[in-house]
Amino acid sequence: MAPFSLFNKTSDINGFYAMLIVNRLQILYFILILPMYLVHPYMILGIVIIGIFSQINLILFSKWFTSNFSGQGYSAFVQLFGERKFRFFVLFGLIPMLLKIIVLTLNYVEAIHQFIFPSMNMLWLVLAILLISFYVSSKGMENTIHFVVIAFLFSFWVILCFIPFFFPPFASLSDLYPLIPTSWSMNSWKSLLFLWSSFSGPEYLICISPWFKRGQTIFKYLTYGNLVSVVEFLISFISSLLFFGSNYLSKTNYPIVTMARYLQSPIIERIDMILLSLHMFHFVFIISFLILSFYGGIRIVFKRVHKQTTRIGFLACCAVIFTSIAVVNQWFWEPGIKDNLWLSLEIWSSSVTFLLVPALLLAAIKLKGRSLE
Amino acid sequence: MFWKQSDRDKSESHRDKRAVNLQNLKEMLSNMEDAEIIERETNNSEKIIFIYIRTLINQERLNEAIVVPLIQSSYASVCDCITNSKVSILSTLKEAETQLLFGSVLVFNQKQNVWCSVPLKNTTGRSIETSETETILYGAKDSFSEQIETNITLIRRRLPKTELKVEKFTIGTYSETTVMLMYIDGLTNPEFVKIARNELTNINFDLFFDSSQIAAFMEDHHHSIFPQFLQTDRPDVCAYSLVMGKITMLIDNTPFALVAPITFFHLLQSPEDYINRWPVASFLRGLRYISFIISITLIPFYVALTTHHYEMIPLQILYVLVESRSKLPFTPFWEAFLMLIILEIIKEASLRMPTKSSQTLGVIGGIVIGQAAVEAGFASKVLIVLVGISTIAAFLCPNYLLTKANTLIQFIFLIFSSFMGIIGIALGMIGILAHLNGLTSLKQPYFAPVSPFYGRDWLDLFIRGPLIWMKRRPEHLRTLQKWRYRSRR
Repeated sequence: MAPFSLFNKTSDINGFYAMLIVNRLQILYFILILPMYLVHPYMILGIVIIGIFSQINLILFSKWFTSNFSGQGYSAFVQLFGERKFRFFVLFGLIPMLLKIIVLTLNYVEAIHQFIFPSMNMLWLVLAILLISFYVSSKGMENTIHFVVIAFLFSFWVILCFIPFFFPPFASLSDLYPLIPTSWSMNSWKSLLFLWSSFSGPEYLICISPWFKRGQTIFKYLTYGNLVSVVEFLISFISSLLFFGSNYLSKTNYPIVTMARYLQSPIIERIDMILLSLHMFHFVFIISFLILSFYGGIRIVFKRVHKQTTRIGFLACCAVIFTSIAVVNQWFWEPGIKDNLWLSLEIWSSSVTFLLVPALLLAAIKLKGRSLE
Repeated sequence: MFWKQSDRDKSESHRDKRAVNLQNLKEMLSNMEDAEIIERETNNSEKIIFIYIRTLINQERLNEAIVVPLIQSSYASVCDCITNSKVSILSTLKEAETQLLFGSVLVFNQKQNVWCSVPLKNTTGRSIETSETETILYGAKDSFSEQIETNITLIRRRLPKTELKVEKFTIGTYSETTVMLMYIDGLTNPEFVKIARNELTNINFDLFFDSSQIAAFMEDHHHSIFPQFLQTDRPDVCAYSLVMGKITMLIDNTPFALVAPITFFHLLQSPEDYINRWPVASFLRGLRYISFIISITLIPFYVALTTHHYEMIPLQILYVLVESRSKLPFTPFWEAFLMLIILEIIKEASLRMPTKSSQTLGVIGGIVIGQAAVEAGFASKVLIVLVGISTIAAFLCPNYLLTKANTLIQFIFLIFSSFMGIIGIALGMIGILAHLNGLTSLKQPYFAPVSPFYGRDWLDLFIRGPLIWMKRRPEHLRTLQKWRYRSRR
């Protein structure tokens, strides 16, 4: 039987993949529910401002990629933090990773459950999606990174379907006013936090930093990825504002999917079902990527980095992920989006990781540089 | 079992070393009715022995090219009097055996005690005909035949360059099949040649009678339904592939050459793409991709809609569908499954049946199964129409092996769609794409230039760009010469 290699590197990955991965990580599940959290027209400006903050964070992050450490993978982190401390960090990092997988899978499955299969047991859908994600990830990290091109091709154009909603007969430009907030509340802060967590995800690029080609201007590609995400968020939010209006937007579940219901086609109805299914390409890519990162993290925690990856180890990781999702779904999951504890946890956790990871890496590089001097 | 094999190996190596003599040859050729051993005396009263296998040599030429010149000559050596440039002196029995079996005549001069072999291969075979598997309206009509030398000639005529290298391999312990590995030196990535050489050298099997069997041994992924080598009988396709930086393997006794490394997208390209005007070629290529998707998803989509998602069907179409399906005893899945199975039976029968019976098959397939199935209430009219569209769409695919793979994919999607509707189809699509993404052909990515992404190669991917713009060779093939034109400097 051929050796089971998941983390082999046969060729360098160029910045183009970084751009696609950053964009797809940002535009994941939150885009489906983003407008109902933002609600007010002045959040258009919020998207732009948080996009700029995200860009600043990516500047910090790109310092890591231009450093000598990023290409070395595990040994670089050991140099920066020491083996014991690094293993502790990884153990700590596995929690938000697992949380992201659980919450995003269950939320996406809930959307499918609501719009496509109301009568099907959610666990079957979870199992189906996870099985295909396990299959994608079993092809190895390099192939999974390459898969982002397929995921992107099958999902990026979906946002263009919402362009017709910019010109509804019953809405006007004044629906987008005021652009500057007249009052500020706790909910506005929550909206900004939600936006920040929507822009999170690029921090997971550290898991694949050894695959990137050395000496390329990765910052340029990270910027493009972030920019495309800002445009996609803007299109989805403005179109839903024009379609629903501010007042009704906060009362709608999954506004983007609901809007897609109104798309007209002479040969098929309920375009939303097709679009939601196509979103799965994108979704499966991210889950596969996270599964491999999770398995890699487990290998570090259990000091097995220098040993060959095994089918049993990988399957055990898959089993842990499936069991975690099944347990949460069975006993702890609260249906619905609003006031969902798990979703709130995910918002906070992803916001914190996005804020801390680039800063922490940059600080570690600087400190290491000083200590070497 | 192992000791037996070891014994055979020992006897073969022993034969390799044995000297060639009449006694040994007679022993070797015992019980071979078509083996001939004849003795003649020359004008100098020297005794000459001719040994050959009647069925493998050109008997008409035997007398005029070998026997008569030898008997009538007064030359001292056999080699001098036979005007064949490939006369060789034999020393071992193994050499003699190989020469005999490849259509040579062994000549023994008793006085001089010299064994020679004179090639006189019987080249009887099919003449050069039009390709039946890859037909095109315009362009070259010649195709490969079973004669490997002729096939090499057809390629050499198109690429008259000394850089076109041909390496010979013999594989198959019993079939001793000749394989010619062709590549352009200084253009093709040496890594491809090295991998192909290694693979061909390491093949260990008894019999090869078709190129697909050799491909099966050389493929990186033996369990995939997708062909990882392009099988073609068109010399123009081989010549084009060689110039693009691929390798080609010609196999004796089969008209199909193997081309590698290929990508999935090569299987959907036709030689005619490069003959038509580029906008037309691009349109036709696009049509082929759409047809490929239709052929694998149309029937599963019908099953998904009629089983799980009635709300997706517009009202007017729904009326037609409900009316059509109202009296059917089967669920949409079984209805579609049975129709597809019957269709596959008809397709397979049409390949195996004698040509004269094809009219009967047309009547049975078209009228009895099509019309009668609807009237008897076994299938809906809508499904019959969709099955027809899907079947015709599958035929747009230029590669027969991919068409067969399509059928299997369609059945897999059918099962997925019956359980999970359009989500099932999406899952199936992801699975197929992930599988393609992980495949390799001669260790090179099979889904390039999409994944891994090579932007420049997209000019000849979903569209066929203008030839004047296609100045670079495909980036994913990592050729040694990047540009297709010669620098004026």
